[in-house]
Amino acid sequence: MLTDLYRQRALIGAFANRDFATRYRSSILGWAWSLIQPLAILVVFAAVFSLVFRIQAPDLGNGAGSSYAAFLFTGLVTWNLFAGLLNLSMTQLKSNGELLKKVQFPAWAPILGASIVQLIQVLLELAVLVVMFLWLRNVGWTWVLAIPILIGAALFAQGIGLVLSIINARFGDVQYIVAVVLSALYFLTPVLYPISMVDGQNELLSLVVKLNPMSWYVESMHEVMYSLVAPPALVIVALLVGGFLTFWAGLAIFNRGSEDIGELL
Amino acid sequence: MSDTNHDNGQQLAVDIQGVGKRFKRSVDRRNSIKERIVRGRSRKPEDFWAVRGVSLQIPKGSVYGLIGHNGSGKSTLLKMIGGIYRPTEGSITTDGRVASLIELGAGFHPEMTGRENIHLNGSILGMAKKEIAAVTGEIIEFSGLGDFINDPVKHYSSGMYVRLGFSVAVHMKPEVLLIDEVLAVGDEEFQRKCFDHLYALRRSGRTIIVVSHGLGQLEGLCDEIAWLEHGQMQEFGAPTTTIAAYLRRVNSQEAARYPEVTAVRAAGEEARPGDQTLRVRTAAIVDADGNPLNHTETGSTFQFRIGFTTSEPVLGPNVRIALQHESGPLVTMIGNHRLGFDLGTVSGDNVVDVALVDNPLLPGRYRVHIDVFDFTGSRLLDSWNDAVEFAVRSQSGEIGQGFVQLPAQFRLG
Repeated sequence: MLTDLYRQRALIGAFANRDFATRYRSSILGWAWSLIQPLAILVVFAAVFSLVFRIQAPDLGNGAGSSYAAFLFTGLVTWNLFAGLLNLSMTQLKSNGELLKKVQFPAWAPILGASIVQLIQVLLELAVLVVMFLWLRNVGWTWVLAIPILIGAALFAQGIGLVLSIINARFGDVQYIVAVVLSALYFLTPVLYPISMVDGQNELLSLVVKLNPMSWYVESMHEVMYSLVAPPALVIVALLVGGFLTFWAGLAIFNRGSEDIGELL
Repeated sequence: MSDTNHDNGQQLAVDIQGVGKRFKRSVDRRNSIKERIVRGRSRKPEDFWAVRGVSLQIPKGSVYGLIGHNGSGKSTLLKMIGGIYRPTEGSITTDGRVASLIELGAGFHPEMTGRENIHLNGSILGMAKKEIAAVTGEIIEFSGLGDFINDPVKHYSSGMYVRLGFSVAVHMKPEVLLIDEVLAVGDEEFQRKCFDHLYALRRSGRTIIVVSHGLGQLEGLCDEIAWLEHGQMQEFGAPTTTIAAYLRRVNSQEAARYPEVTAVRAAGEEARPGDQTLRVRTAAIVDADGNPLNHTETGSTFQFRIGFTTSEPVLGPNVRIALQHESGPLVTMIGNHRLGFDLGTVSGDNVVDVALVDNPLLPGRYRVHIDVFDFTGSRLLDSWNDAVEFAVRSQSGEIGQGFVQLPAQFRLG
């Protein structure tokens, strides 16, 4: 199953190429938008949540005080990776429907192609995050651990995205349900606030936040990038393996569900 | 899987064994979760078989045609061969890469240039990067797009669009090429090129399966033709005989559907050009014995029967029949003066029969306009536009090109 992915890398690449080339083609600022958008959100959120709600970020790993903006952006980058892949994957079958109805090719190819472009966007955001931390002089070897964490998060999101895309091809309602669930999940993931804030709050709320797998990825990113603390090796391995298994299972479900994709669309 | 043999020992490109495809009616498809919940899964969906019990052996290097009415299942069968639909029952074995030319340019992205789209489309059709690079020049050359190849395809005309689509599809060198109703692409010159290319593909041992309503085109292109009706195989074999059988069915079905309708028309009292001293009352298509017809056949003699009334005796009228093809062009004008027939002096109620011996008209629909002039040809007595309309069919299966089949003779000098 996974070797199919490798064998079809040219096709996935062609779709990625298409999405990359056309993503901002009719806009003047082009790819600059991929940074303007998250940075604008960062500025607004940072202002609202640190000035109005007075959320206090934990201390930076270098001991030089705290930065809510940097804390928030670390979470945002991780969240955008997850939500971006999910949203994009979910609509790919429909937007490539005309093609899938007429030519036979693996239906996951346009999805993975779109995801590659989304990952480029994430890398750009990540570069800005790194610049931010360099400016704050908050640098540590633990940054290396961000690589397996993000790979795990991407695989995890892609696995779920594949399953959702096939359900969405059958039931068009799914993308609306997912939109609602995602916006709820956004607040139930410690992106806007440190996870310590839910301790001692409503027990159910606290439980939901802590059981939410996205919280694990976001929290681990906070630790390695912001607090410069290394989580136990087991956690890193679990995040990576968990992501991989989700992806593998998602692909298996997708393959079964997409056998009649030409008729479904 | 490849070495299945045909009856006469030929290798098969596609082996179809008892294939059927069942579709669920869309009324019963639970398209939303709400419907699933509200109506449950319990009600049994009404199924219908788009294709059933079809077996077909398509030899390597042949051109195979599929004909049938709309909804006969031929496109469904093609999609199953192309792997887009899975057969509900039976099996389809194909040898080698199958490429669908089912919809030209289906994979084009409007924002990308023609060149970028060649690459994308080639990848989707299963070509490797190197293969695409190797034929890109040829594709551009073949499409005749020139410098436009570097413009976004959203600026292309529809003709340019399909030309590029066709060029990509035929250049990917598939073992089996599936073509669905896309032969009428571009202008005459490009069509010629397409056919030349298809013949070249066939010569190089590729198999081509084509679905079309263009019977004449198929007859020239195909080695064998299969005829599907209501998802079932009716006949297959030599193009001429299969097409003839199909046309016989079409003709008899149409005759059965409109048994009472014959090409006979009586005029009303409407105002018409001309001084009306002679007024045409009826126009009909009849056979040689005077029996009304609703259609006629190429090569068989039939007559126009025109009934008229005069208010005063008319000396030597010139009755002219103009035949217009359904697509617009005037095919010919028949007049008794030009042909040297003098009708003499006519008065009262009269009928004139105009026999078209060995009807040279090719299949199609024709409209009849009738003009009557006096013997000088300068005074219009009556002019009846769209007096009657009739169909010409073909019993032999020959469709022909153009409107008429002239009685030519060939002799080797």
